[in-house]
Amino acid sequence: MANSIMASSKPLIFLSSSSTQPSRVHLPAKLPQIPKPISSSSDLRSKALSFSSATVKSLALIAALAPPSMAEAMEKAQLFDFNLTLPIIVVEFLFLMFALDKVYYSPLGNFMDKRDGEIKEKLASVKDTSTEIKALDEQADSVMRAARAEIAAALNKMKKETEAEVEEQLAEGRKKVEAELQEALASLEKQKEVTIKALDSQIAALSEDIVKKVLPS
Amino acid sequence: MNVLSCSINTLIKEGLYEISGVEVGQHFYWQIGGFQVHAQVLITSWVVIAILLGSAALAVRNPQTIPTGGQNFFEFVLEFIRDVSQTQIGEEYGPWVPFIGTLFLFIFVSNWSGALLPWKIIQLPQGELAAPTNDINTTVALALLTSVAYFYAGLSKKGLGYFSKYIQPTPILLPINILEDFTKPLSLSFRLFGNILADELVVVVLVSLVPLVVPIPVMFLGLFTSGIQALIFATLAAAYIGESMEGHH
Repeated sequence: MANSIMASSKPLIFLSSSSTQPSRVHLPAKLPQIPKPISSSSDLRSKALSFSSATVKSLALIAALAPPSMAEAMEKAQLFDFNLTLPIIVVEFLFLMFALDKVYYSPLGNFMDKRDGEIKEKLASVKDTSTEIKALDEQADSVMRAARAEIAAALNKMKKETEAEVEEQLAEGRKKVEAELQEALASLEKQKEVTIKALDSQIAALSEDIVKKVLPS
Repeated sequence: MNVLSCSINTLIKEGLYEISGVEVGQHFYWQIGGFQVHAQVLITSWVVIAILLGSAALAVRNPQTIPTGGQNFFEFVLEFIRDVSQTQIGEEYGPWVPFIGTLFLFIFVSNWSGALLPWKIIQLPQGELAAPTNDINTTVALALLTSVAYFYAGLSKKGLGYFSKYIQPTPILLPINILEDFTKPLSLSFRLFGNILADELVVVVLVSLVPLVVPIPVMFLGLFTSGIQALIFATLAAAYIGESMEGHH
């Protein structure tokens, strides 16, 4: 933090002393006037705050060319500085591409594809069993239907049989009853005749009695 | 417009990055065989690559049928990448998954590392550690790779017939079609570079002005933008590849 504050304090002076810029040109002449090398940053700051034009100038000079090599570099400082860095970055990028392909894209990609394939296969096999289940279901259904039909047929058959039996027995009973009826009727007729005969004889006697009683003798 | 850009230029050169303490356009140089490289970009990109490879190797070391934890997350990421590639490229997306996925992951982790990792703890003699994507070299490298990739995709799919797309639908559009091959990488690289650099600048400037609370929403916005930028880069790369593979009837 202190560093950045320092950095920000430096330029303020630099900007305020922008009128001293031309002095840069004849720097060597003024070099002897530069005070002793700055020992500490606090020292620099106190001097910066004092704002005497001489120190400001000298500070600007120091900032500009304290070590001569720095000044050279400052001259050269530029945004669009193409040099060997470019091809080196190209090589580095290609290396990174192949290395990542070996380490990352290919192995993990193949692994993922394989897993995808396996999952799809499993899913397909699950679908297959579902059709199997459907077939089995149908089979069970048909079995059930057949069983039901069989049962119905057996039931019908049994019903018919029992009906026939019942009818037979009914007919037999009817015949028996009829026979008995006939017999009873016949015996009744006989009794009637007997009674009538008996009555006939009695009628003769009765009529005789009536005649006797009516006709005074 | 010109005046504006001029004033912005001078502002950036003389004041702005001094105000914020952020060192725009300052690099920590290494010499390799007479050439200069931006060491801070290389260092952070190594860290990003180490993070990606390490976490992926750890999570995918022993895949389980029922994924848990890290494996689950990496499967999700892979599905996401496959989804993006499939949507943009079509059915033949398989071989392009590593390219699209690495683009997305590298940019995403780079962007987020710039916002989340405390790079500033490590002091460099000059320049500072930040997201690799905030250097134009990185974004241009990725954009050029994308260009190569879609040319390769088109040529391998259709042979020399690929070049017939330049005179489709009419030969009048030939210049525009050729121009497109230049604007594609240009827009890809500058979009990413600008977004990430601007995001880090805004955060740093705000931190230097109001060190407490105020920068937090902007930081979250930065995280969001970083993710979106990674997705945009990967999606556009996939779209370009898909476009050069599909037939222009």
